[in-house]
Amino acid sequence: MDEKVPRSKIIETEIPMGTVHPAALEPYRVRFFVEDEIVQEAEITIGVNHRGIERIMEGLPVEKANALTEKICGICSNSHIWNSCRTAEIGLGIEIPERATYIRVIMGELERLHSHFLYLAHGCEVLSHETFSMRVFYLREIVMELLAMIGGNRVQYGCSVLGGVRPRCDLDEAKLLRLKEDMDKIEEGLTGFANRFIADSIVMSRITGIGVLPQKQAIELAVTGPTLRATGVARDLRTTMFEYDNFDFNVITQPDGDVKSNLLMRALESFESIKIIRQAIANIPEGKVINTDWEMFDTDITESYIEVPRGTLYHSYALESGRVRHCVIRTPSMANIGAMQYACIGDQITDAQLCIVQCDPCFTCTDRAIEIIRR
Amino acid sequence: MGIKGFSRTKAIHVMLVYTGGCNGCDIEIVNSILSPRFDAEQYNVFLTWNPREADVLVVTGPVTHLNRKPLEEIYNAIPNPKLVVAAGSCALMGGVYKNCYGDIQSEEIEGPVENIIPVNAKIPGCAVRPQDVLAGVVSLLPILLDAD
Amino acid sequence: MFSNVIIYSVITAAITVIVCFIVSTLLPGIERKYIHARIQQRIGPLVISPGILAPIKFMFKENVKVESPVPGLYKALPIICFIVVTCLLIALTPQAFAIPALSSLVAIVGLLKVEEICYVLMGALSKSVMSVRMPFPDQIKGAAHNNSNRSFIEDISSRRSLRMITYGSFPLYLALFAPITQSRSIFLADIVAYQQAHGPYLFTVSGAIAAIVFFIGYMIILNEYPFSIIKAKSDVIEGPYMEYASKYRAIVYLTRGFFMLVLGVLFSVLFLGIPPVITSVNILINILVALVLVFMMGIMSAFSPVFTNRQLLPTILGTTLLGILAIALGVL
Repeated sequence: MDEKVPRSKIIETEIPMGTVHPAALEPYRVRFFVEDEIVQEAEITIGVNHRGIERIMEGLPVEKANALTEKICGICSNSHIWNSCRTAEIGLGIEIPERATYIRVIMGELERLHSHFLYLAHGCEVLSHETFSMRVFYLREIVMELLAMIGGNRVQYGCSVLGGVRPRCDLDEAKLLRLKEDMDKIEEGLTGFANRFIADSIVMSRITGIGVLPQKQAIELAVTGPTLRATGVARDLRTTMFEYDNFDFNVITQPDGDVKSNLLMRALESFESIKIIRQAIANIPEGKVINTDWEMFDTDITESYIEVPRGTLYHSYALESGRVRHCVIRTPSMANIGAMQYACIGDQITDAQLCIVQCDPCFTCTDRAIEIIRR
Repeated sequence: MGIKGFSRTKAIHVMLVYTGGCNGCDIEIVNSILSPRFDAEQYNVFLTWNPREADVLVVTGPVTHLNRKPLEEIYNAIPNPKLVVAAGSCALMGGVYKNCYGDIQSEEIEGPVENIIPVNAKIPGCAVRPQDVLAGVVSLLPILLDAD
Repeated sequence: MFSNVIIYSVITAAITVIVCFIVSTLLPGIERKYIHARIQQRIGPLVISPGILAPIKFMFKENVKVESPVPGLYKALPIICFIVVTCLLIALTPQAFAIPALSSLVAIVGLLKVEEICYVLMGALSKSVMSVRMPFPDQIKGAAHNNSNRSFIEDISSRRSLRMITYGSFPLYLALFAPITQSRSIFLADIVAYQQAHGPYLFTVSGAIAAIVFFIGYMIILNEYPFSIIKAKSDVIEGPYMEYASKYRAIVYLTRGFFMLVLGVLFSVLFLGIPPVITSVNILINILVALVLVFMMGIMSAFSPVFTNRQLLPTILGTTLLGILAIALGVL
């Protein structure tokens, strides 16, 4: 594939969009430099959402800080609290009960389902295909209700705590049964949707070859998550995470890196998530869900990487007399901004927002103190 | 209830402005309006993205510094009678972000929304539930009826 | 005696316009509730809500200052559009057949062109808050280009409408001229008379093809998905209508429903030979045709995404060729 070179010298017109725009679910500013409706360059300005979460976390007791990480993002809130607890657990050497690990995995995969469904629905909405968008939103409601059943809230469920999961989130027989039944429902609905989607030649012609991100560029821009996998690189941190050792799943890749690959990627990955949840339901061990038998001591900076629905999430902090110090959080969308700007180039301005959406942006996650050092 | 009041209660255009929350409320609101599960359109609530068309402005998030002016501009662009709904605990009181440094207020957060524009209804919750959003918007109907 | 006939005709035409207008306010609601909402498996709004109650609500809103370089002209444009659509309907009534200048296809094409030019002007004159005027410090040190020529999102929409004038409306005009091949006259009176004598044009091969072309042209001129590029939600939000508030927005809403109905009546005049006569039952056929077109358009638009220029050009080119085929078949 040829490399797309921005012709940044010739700028005919600039179209700014944002910070409020129907195609964006979050506030951000994007400037498109267009020539005859073809985007030549795009510049995304973030920082609109900056609330200083890491600063707030600094000096808080670690339990409180963990609960606060959930407020970084309303989409992948569970991943943040999971990774934050994981950081402290690695640092303090806390052993997590087997059952708690399984419940965390179930929550993580349910969250992946809801994030991917949101992506599909939002993608269809930006395509102005209201009907498909509605159908996916309808499927997503099943997942949301499952999350509400387990965690007690539709968005921020606060499942993980230090040493395991909250007793509230323990899964009894009835909950497991409902989970199992709903997985069948979701699989049936998603299969129907995916078949219908692929068979729709109008939609396919609309999204094939749009917003192409070549593999070479994707690696160069350090893109992570499904956006990277959609360019053909089989890199998934779940294969290295100890939580997923007992589970059998495939790492899905798609060849092209365009909007079609990205959308299909999400749909196929959802099937893998359903598979993982089914395995977890079948093999969930008995026992405690929380290990309270640990001691607090000062630690050096500990790091933890996990795979969240949108890519690789990094949390790191040190503990000093039970309080969080030197906190750094790096979310997947941070790495993917470069991909968003790149994917727009050479496409119609009508597709430009779609190209941004295809990289699964979550600017609310991303807007924290950042420093980019070019070497 | 005359024709004016009747038409106002049977066609409500809602505009959503997100001012830097955690995204949870935005998606719940868009979800409640778009998804067939809640389907706000059956209560004649329509989602619009044009301030000139809107009657009700739903604001989520603790207004961050860069979002203050856009919010004011959008509020000014809406023709009267207009109503503002603040949804979610961030919009109501700044949420976890507002008083993060103890007595020293955060410079980043300009909110709560009340500090910037007048608020008519408040929907609590973190994140708000779609049922609550619908109830909140519908609770504004008496105010819409009474407006000039 | 002569003046009595004129007064009678004027009154009949006026009643026709009023009846059609009242019926037309239901069409957007029918499209929204019974087609879009049903396909999307939800209940949907009140039938009268989008077409009647929303305009009435806008009538009672405060009339804000419009952000536009020429506010007067900008505000006049929806009124012009409405008058154009009304003229179009008057031209279709049998009472107007006495005025050959009005009731000819050339006049109808001219009126439709005025409607399209209004979109260009609306787009060019609207300066909404949603893009450049949004106060955001983005032309700062370190930004990509600090001296670029900034344009509003409505400007793109305006350029797109211009493009639609040049090639987008070909299918509709070809379909309008197709019936001439049978009746050999551009006057509506002759077209109607010919069809009443020889049966509807729709039921010939060329007529059927021309009807398909007309339907696609109908969707293009109404800016309905998938041809809604001038008001695509993914970039230009509402395009030319961005700045209209209160009464002017009410007129925009009403014009849309009215235009749907008038184009349906146009179809029934050109392809079935049934002009809207208020005193006969035939007016029900006119309304039925308009409803059928709205139903078809609703189903099409619920199942298709918005087309960009890439898909638009081949679609319109294909439809244009189909239109030429219809005319060629008609001539043969």
